[in-house]
Amino acid sequence: MTQQPIIRFDNVSKRYNEQTSVLNNISFEMERGKFYTLLGPSGCGKTTILRLIAGFIEPSSGEIQFNGKKINDTPPNERQVNTVFQDYALFPHLNVFENVAFGLRIKKIKQADVKRRVEEALRFVNLQGYENREISEMSGGQRQRVAIARAIVNDPEIILLDEPLSALDLKLRTEMQYELRELQQRLGKTFIFVTHDQEEALAMSDEIFVMNAGEIVQSGTPIDIYDEPINRFVADFIGESNIVDGVMIRDHLVRFAGREFECVDAGLDPNEKIEVVIRPEDLEITSPDRGKLVVTVDTQLFRGVHYELSTYDKDGNEWLVHSTKKAQVGDEIGLDFDPEAIHVMRLNESEEDFDRRLESYEVPDHAE
Amino acid sequence: MAKPSNVQKIFLTLVFIILYAPIFFLIFYSFNSNGTMSSFDSFTLEHYAAVFEDTRLIMIVFNTVIVALLSALISTVIGVLGGLAIVYLKNRKLRSTLLSLNNVLIVSPDVIIGASFLILFTAVGVRLGFASVLISHIAFSVPIVVLMVLPKLLEMSDSLIDAARDLGASGKDVLTRVIIPYIKPGIFAGFFLALTYSLDDFAVTFFVTGNGFSTLSVEIYSMARAGITLTINALSGLIFIVTVGLVIVYYALNSRNRTPVTGVKK
Repeated sequence: MTQQPIIRFDNVSKRYNEQTSVLNNISFEMERGKFYTLLGPSGCGKTTILRLIAGFIEPSSGEIQFNGKKINDTPPNERQVNTVFQDYALFPHLNVFENVAFGLRIKKIKQADVKRRVEEALRFVNLQGYENREISEMSGGQRQRVAIARAIVNDPEIILLDEPLSALDLKLRTEMQYELRELQQRLGKTFIFVTHDQEEALAMSDEIFVMNAGEIVQSGTPIDIYDEPINRFVADFIGESNIVDGVMIRDHLVRFAGREFECVDAGLDPNEKIEVVIRPEDLEITSPDRGKLVVTVDTQLFRGVHYELSTYDKDGNEWLVHSTKKAQVGDEIGLDFDPEAIHVMRLNESEEDFDRRLESYEVPDHAE
Repeated sequence: MAKPSNVQKIFLTLVFIILYAPIFFLIFYSFNSNGTMSSFDSFTLEHYAAVFEDTRLIMIVFNTVIVALLSALISTVIGVLGGLAIVYLKNRKLRSTLLSLNNVLIVSPDVIIGASFLILFTAVGVRLGFASVLISHIAFSVPIVVLMVLPKLLEMSDSLIDAARDLGASGKDVLTRVIIPYIKPGIFAGFFLALTYSLDDFAVTFFVTGNGFSTLSVEIYSMARAGITLTINALSGLIFIVTVGLVIVYYALNSRNRTPVTGVKK
């Protein structure tokens, strides 16, 4: 990429005191016009990154760059960044129009321009006609839209979204996922979205940064992260997974659950101990004699789109299966899967080594 | 809550009658043509006329109102700033210390505040009069304003300030466009409470006044000591009506602030 990144973190750390470190030497770049998601459990430091970009807090060490310029000491009111807050942070003493106009009024923009831009922003979020409403008269979803309008009206380079969907009900949340994604593409702005909900992250992002304990564990497109999780944490956090211990016999041959299987992974040491991930939807139910694995069905749940089966093999490993086919609890069934469904994870592999290894043997048709 | 029973109603009525009876008794005899409070002869307004004819008394009323308005105004400004300082202080220990010091001033007896101010003013060499009364009134009003403003400040979410900064607001903009409008009901409450505290203060003023400067409560006290005239009754009646008026204004303002109706500013 020849284009200059819009945001660059260079070995950024944030400590509140000597013992507790919230971010440990984080480095990454973000490109202009993309939808980024910072994904991780609560307390992983994702909101800290957002607040560092917004300027509410300063890094303890390292450098933050915006369009190639260091902005460590730039106060938030001088940054071309606007935030949509988790609690929306709308001003209760101002109506919808004045809330959206707040940033423009500060910049002393002419009344006619203010009116035109506020109306345009409200149209963008489908709230035309609500100008004179009080904030207290708006529903949760509407407040959400006002908060988004208030951010985009200032024409910022980056829009930061701090878990903005967490207070909405499921249906509205799904709707807003589509709307946010569409809005980002219409505006062409860089969106940085913080969430702990992996579904939101997978549905909306161009790129996801998976975070844990103050570090970025893995970054990549939703498909990359889902199909090729770097370690047990990512595999577990993103989607549901079957993770079992195994041994890499040699390139393209792995041993787990008491059998050897063909796989697509390579570049590991012979007889290296590894972990194997197989996604529940990659397992297919078949008869015991034709299955690569033979398991006993323990429980079965109807999930609407599919059945979720919890099964155990004779070694006691649990295998979660998502299948449109039904099975009988207590029955022995066979599980079939493709060599591509097996994903091998090295223990304690760094992200650079992981990417290098994947590139070395990746087959073109595997990338979907 | 359950509806009050008859016993409860009677009790409540009795309490209010006992509380208000002396005031109405006093006002009732202010219309008595006979100069005493022992028997009511006939209706007259001459005592009220006497109040308005007494230019010295009018001057004192004027002094009282000026001191009340000025001290309420100044203590509101100081109190709001103090409240902000207490809330946005990072040091928790200092913060709770300041808050405790504030509360001690509210509960400490007026006599002690008055006496200590008298000692201070004489030691420093401040002439007793308008300035000394004003300063001491500001001093006992500030903690009241702080106490009225604090709950609104604490209720305000920090993200509102972050949001304002994020939208380009400078420190001054945050204060005038977000914080002050948000805590406005608290500021009004503090101002009116300071106003009434100053208007009816006797103990503190009694200590620090001098050189012919007097306020109503001190004047009424000295008039009463010199011997009861019904002019005092008439004056007290007037003050009572003004106080009731102030309370009504305060409630009207407060209820209007609770449901804000801000239109699109032009």
